[in-house]
Amino acid sequence: MTFASKPVPGPAAFQRRGRFRPGDTVLYVVTLAAALSGVVLLGLVTRELLTEAWPAMDRFGLHFLTTQDWDPNKKVFGAGTFIAGTAITSFGALLLAAPISIAIALFLTELAPRGVRSAVGVLVDMLAAVPSVVLGFWGILVLGPFIVHTLAPALHGTLGFLPIFSTEPSVGSNVFAAILILTIMIVPIISSICRELFLGVPQELKDGALALGATRWEVARGVTFPYARAGIAAAMILGLGRAVGEAIAVTQVIGNSVAINKSLFEPGDTLASRIASQYIGADTTLQINSLVYLAVILLVFSLVANIVAQVIVRRVAGRHRAA
Amino acid sequence: MRGQMQRTRKSRLAAAAGLLVAIAAIAIVSVTGASARSSTDEISGAGATFPAPLIAIWQQKYEAAKGVKVNYNPIGSGGGIAAITQKTVDFGASDAPMTPDQFSACGGCVQLPWVLSATSVMYNMPLANNLHMTGPVLADIYLGKIKNWNDPRIKSINPGVSIPDQDITVVYRSDGSGTSYNFTSYLNTVSKQWKSDVGHGTTVNWPTGVGARGSSGVSGVVSRTEGAIGYADVAYALKNHLKFFSMKNRAGQYRRPGLVGIRAASLADRKFSPTNELSIVNPPGGKKFRKAYPICTYSYVLLRIQSDKASLLKPFVTWALTTGQQYGPAKVFQPIPPYVVARGKATLKKIHS
Repeated sequence: MTFASKPVPGPAAFQRRGRFRPGDTVLYVVTLAAALSGVVLLGLVTRELLTEAWPAMDRFGLHFLTTQDWDPNKKVFGAGTFIAGTAITSFGALLLAAPISIAIALFLTELAPRGVRSAVGVLVDMLAAVPSVVLGFWGILVLGPFIVHTLAPALHGTLGFLPIFSTEPSVGSNVFAAILILTIMIVPIISSICRELFLGVPQELKDGALALGATRWEVARGVTFPYARAGIAAAMILGLGRAVGEAIAVTQVIGNSVAINKSLFEPGDTLASRIASQYIGADTTLQINSLVYLAVILLVFSLVANIVAQVIVRRVAGRHRAA
Repeated sequence: MRGQMQRTRKSRLAAAAGLLVAIAAIAIVSVTGASARSSTDEISGAGATFPAPLIAIWQQKYEAAKGVKVNYNPIGSGGGIAAITQKTVDFGASDAPMTPDQFSACGGCVQLPWVLSATSVMYNMPLANNLHMTGPVLADIYLGKIKNWNDPRIKSINPGVSIPDQDITVVYRSDGSGTSYNFTSYLNTVSKQWKSDVGHGTTVNWPTGVGARGSSGVSGVVSRTEGAIGYADVAYALKNHLKFFSMKNRAGQYRRPGLVGIRAASLADRKFSPTNELSIVNPPGGKKFRKAYPICTYSYVLLRIQSDKASLLKPFVTWALTTGQQYGPAKVFQPIPPYVVARGKATLKKIHS
């Protein structure tokens, strides 16, 4: 009964075993269709994006990636500012989210009392269930004013010599608000993966280290982190992918300005946010083509991030099987 | 053995149930699709948000009076042009008149003005009411050349008002919008630099400031940000109790946006372009335009010359141009003048099925 050893158990294979069983055939066809639909859909989406983006690709070529203008009147479009904005917001969010997430995971797997673990774990995971548009509203109504009146004056006052805090914002819509919103979004993703990873670290190794007189921190640093290193990297890339693709919450708080500023307290824009804010109101076909070109860049980036994450996960899984 | 048979039976049942569900789903989809197509006393439209409050009243009144259901989806002017071009609606609506390119893409479309209103320029300055503003100063603020409220040019047009040292935050629409079209068209007429550097359109390359989505987004940022300036259709600003400027017209008068100011401005352009375009921003000076508010605009309905719904569309648009206009003033839409009605009726004669 080991189907896995046969190359492809087509419907014929079922029939050969004596009775014809229509249920199995139906199951086979249904699951095959489901599996294929994923592949076909990705293919169709990619083809549609490329066709729609082609006029802009043809006209602007690869200069599109570095051009920093977005001017429908002069028919000049470029992704430069949005690529920079996407990189700044998503890496900024990752920089904040990674230590927080690892700390949460470490606390919940190693340090917290048993009763607290599941309760806090569930609550952190629920953060991932908050719809992004709701988080965006919270960003507009609470986070933005908090940044303007409290956070930014404090950061500017103490760390104002750093270019990223060199101005004081007058308005709550800025790159820093987007970074904080994205951080909140990706913390539950990274921390829940890390939790699973840390739980997978063999207890004997940790016990051994403890027996040698290691402190909790030394166990974490010397055993848990090295063991889960690759997995942590994959978790961070998945978080990054989420941050790169987030459109609605970012467009609500980032200020939609076509500019690259040194200071994080100035408005900016990202690829996904630009698409979300301008697609419906776009009134020239070239502008629509250019927006779809942005989508192509976004798709390429997300696919690359996903593939890298999968390669890492597979390598880790392979190592575990070997061990 | 027995367990296996039971499992087989179960799986068969499950498969059969799955098939049934799939068939039912297909049936439901095809039936609802067919019924949506077969109903005839219904017309659908999409486009600008600017005329949406008035169209919402028309929908109720027209269905009550004539038994024809009008659907309208306020997805924005650009969306309205795209929808009529792709034939997914029976009529489109746009605040920005269609360009020659868009007409040729649409293939057999006409536009006619059917709604008339104004754009207000809002500000957040807690201690100052009824502030004055002129076109050139407003253009320089949006160009980023005037950055502070205590600029001498702002003070000189507001004598006797104490204006604090406060940074100006410029707020604009991040989405494509007819309100932006109206606003930038006005700045075009009052500032050479604006015209050459930025220009007018539903989306432009804003030199400074922060973007927000929709009238609600812009007025939200303005109301939360001290020192901010933004713009929205006048009905929206009034409904939400936001402060707005009295704008100086070319007759030298400061005018608040309202029905009187819009009516006076509507007389500024009587010469239709071949595509029925009218531009009434920044009307000329002189006694006739003393009361004119300078940032007013017509909004257009877009129709296909050949339409299956012609027999329903023509009466509806005719009704909107005439009877429908009486519902406008409650929402700060000034009824369109008679020569615009006449031109609209003449254009409607071209529509056929």
